[in-house]
Amino acid sequence: MRGKDVRLDKVSIRFGDSTAVQPTDLSIHAGEFFSILGPSGCGKTTLLRTISGFIQPSEGRVLIGGEDMAGKGPNERPTALIFQNLALFPLMSVAENVAFGLEARGMRKADRLKRAQELLDLVALGGFGDKRPSDLSGGQRQRVAIARALAVEPAVLLLDEPLSALDLKLRQHMRSELRAIQKRVGITFIYITHDQGEALAMSDRVAVMSRGKLEQVADADTLYAEPATPFVATFVGEQNVLRGTVTSLADTLAALDTPIGRVEGRVKGPIRLGEPALLMIRPERIVLGTGGVNAVPVRLAARNLEGPSVHLQCAAAGQTLTVTVPNGPSVRALPDELTLSFGVEDALVFPMGTLAHG
Amino acid sequence: MGSLARAYGRPLASVIAGIAVLWILILILVPLGAMVEQSLWWREAKGDVSLTIDRLYNDISLIELDRATETDPAKKAAFDQSIAEKQAEIATLEAQEKDPPKTYGLANFTRMSGLHFYIFVRTIFYALLVTALALIVCYPVAYVVALASGPRKAIILMVALIVPYAINELLRVYAWLMILDYRGVINGVLASMGFIDLDAREWIPFLENPSAVFLAMIYTYVLFMVFPMVNTLETLDRNQIEAARDLGASTLRIHRRVIIPHAKPGIAVGCIMTFMLSAGSYSVPAIMTRGQGGDWFSQLVYRQFYESNNWNMGSAYAVSLLVVCTAFILLMMRLFGVGLRDIAR
Repeated sequence: MRGKDVRLDKVSIRFGDSTAVQPTDLSIHAGEFFSILGPSGCGKTTLLRTISGFIQPSEGRVLIGGEDMAGKGPNERPTALIFQNLALFPLMSVAENVAFGLEARGMRKADRLKRAQELLDLVALGGFGDKRPSDLSGGQRQRVAIARALAVEPAVLLLDEPLSALDLKLRQHMRSELRAIQKRVGITFIYITHDQGEALAMSDRVAVMSRGKLEQVADADTLYAEPATPFVATFVGEQNVLRGTVTSLADTLAALDTPIGRVEGRVKGPIRLGEPALLMIRPERIVLGTGGVNAVPVRLAARNLEGPSVHLQCAAAGQTLTVTVPNGPSVRALPDELTLSFGVEDALVFPMGTLAHG
Repeated sequence: MGSLARAYGRPLASVIAGIAVLWILILILVPLGAMVEQSLWWREAKGDVSLTIDRLYNDISLIELDRATETDPAKKAAFDQSIAEKQAEIATLEAQEKDPPKTYGLANFTRMSGLHFYIFVRTIFYALLVTALALIVCYPVAYVVALASGPRKAIILMVALIVPYAINELLRVYAWLMILDYRGVINGVLASMGFIDLDAREWIPFLENPSAVFLAMIYTYVLFMVFPMVNTLETLDRNQIEAARDLGASTLRIHRRVIIPHAKPGIAVGCIMTFMLSAGSYSVPAIMTRGQGGDWFSQLVYRQFYESNNWNMGSAYAVSLLVVCTAFILLMMRLFGVGLRDIAR
């Protein structure tokens, strides 16, 4: 199986008056594990269904392997879709399920059952061919769905939150399993999820989507360390958010007047002197003591033990700052009055914009 | 019963169980039992009984003539005794004629004439044909209502299907009669277009063909086929259709491998209902054929009851039909691999 690249060229999708996907350009490389991450209702599933051919874009083109997919139905595209509820055929055996796509292509029964057996072996379900999907566990059904989709030798596998029905342990296990399968078959995976953990853990690159718009397309490290928009900054990982007014602006650095005092940070968007802006700092980038440029005296309000780390809720001038520090004896002996500090490099200054949570 | 008593207490549980028993008794056991009992006996009405009685009366009047001219008292007494004997014999025979003795057996079933048996078989065949035609007509309708249209459109379609049923069944059948009659709507239109001349009796004799009955029956029983199918089709996860399409299946294959297997219980129920209704329908064939087309078995049953006045034979006919219908149900359940549980859904 060979992966193909997927390109969206100014694709927009409207349903009646409402716009589900705003004009979008996106280039997904062949053989890549690509995730589209966003809250529910952001248009990610619509985008996926457009790639698979169930929805025709209102404008723009979808290209798979350089070929324009306009007018091609889902059964004519080199894609296979794994549904959120898997949509296995309950009245067929597991082997028949896997062989269905080959049956539709007119392959002889003996051949297609042999191929189904190979695919079931690939997903470690060799002995389950005669069972019904309802006899399998959630994780096994998951793998049947993958085998069924791989049977038609798609160049692009589309996955619509297929892990959301599983419990936490199984979900974590399936993440590495999915990643391993993708490496083995080498085709392009496009994975839709609202779970940032899944997206960051599995993907080569992630697109963060909000309100029908792609906010940022980058690898996991970049998304986390260098978010491009306030939405991405707050949707991926935890974030302390402070509102303030820009008091000085120099090249890539800016100083903000915030409720907790004057803080400096790196500029991450078009901001202007004297106008409001957002300052964001990750909880684990704040240190106890006066090591950083930005130092804030706070009062310790609460201490939430997370095992290896501890979240400290600190109050300062009506604001709450969360600090994550490694667990240890010193954390247990913290005084109520503290000084926190963080470096300029770790504080990001954004123009006002939509945040992920309220 | 035990769990009922635990849930509702003994008195209420008894009431519930009593109602259930009464329900089964009134709706199933009593009418069915009466019918089966009726079909299993007949009265031995000997044709020569009335002849014998007539002859005895004749004999008595002859003897009375002889007795009137006889003078010998001894002979007179002998005549009197002979008359009394014959009158006693008449009394027993008349009692027999009035209330012939019941005989139990299967003769009512075996006595069916060749013609009646032919009509019986033909009725079953026609009913199967109506069922098959109704299935072909109704499957696309049920599919569109349940899956292919939006929820709003489905409601409108459903209402459009139900509305004709607000009109009495007889009126609907008569409406078809008016459409298909010799001087009916279709022939009228054809005549007005100059294709045929009604005064020269050049009409198309729709009603002399069994298909007129089929048409009216399908129209009459469409809902019984559509409803169960819509019910099961509505429970189909549409993702399965999309998954099948995504895997490259043609529309035909999606129906054959995904949708129809899912709809099987509904198809089975629809077929059972339509078959039973059409096999037992009296009004539709009676009205639509008007004696021009062949009789249906239900008409024979009617005649046994109300024209031949032979309730035992009528019951036997009805029970035969019931047995075949039950066999059909079991066959359909086996054929479609559905259990009672699926049908009850």
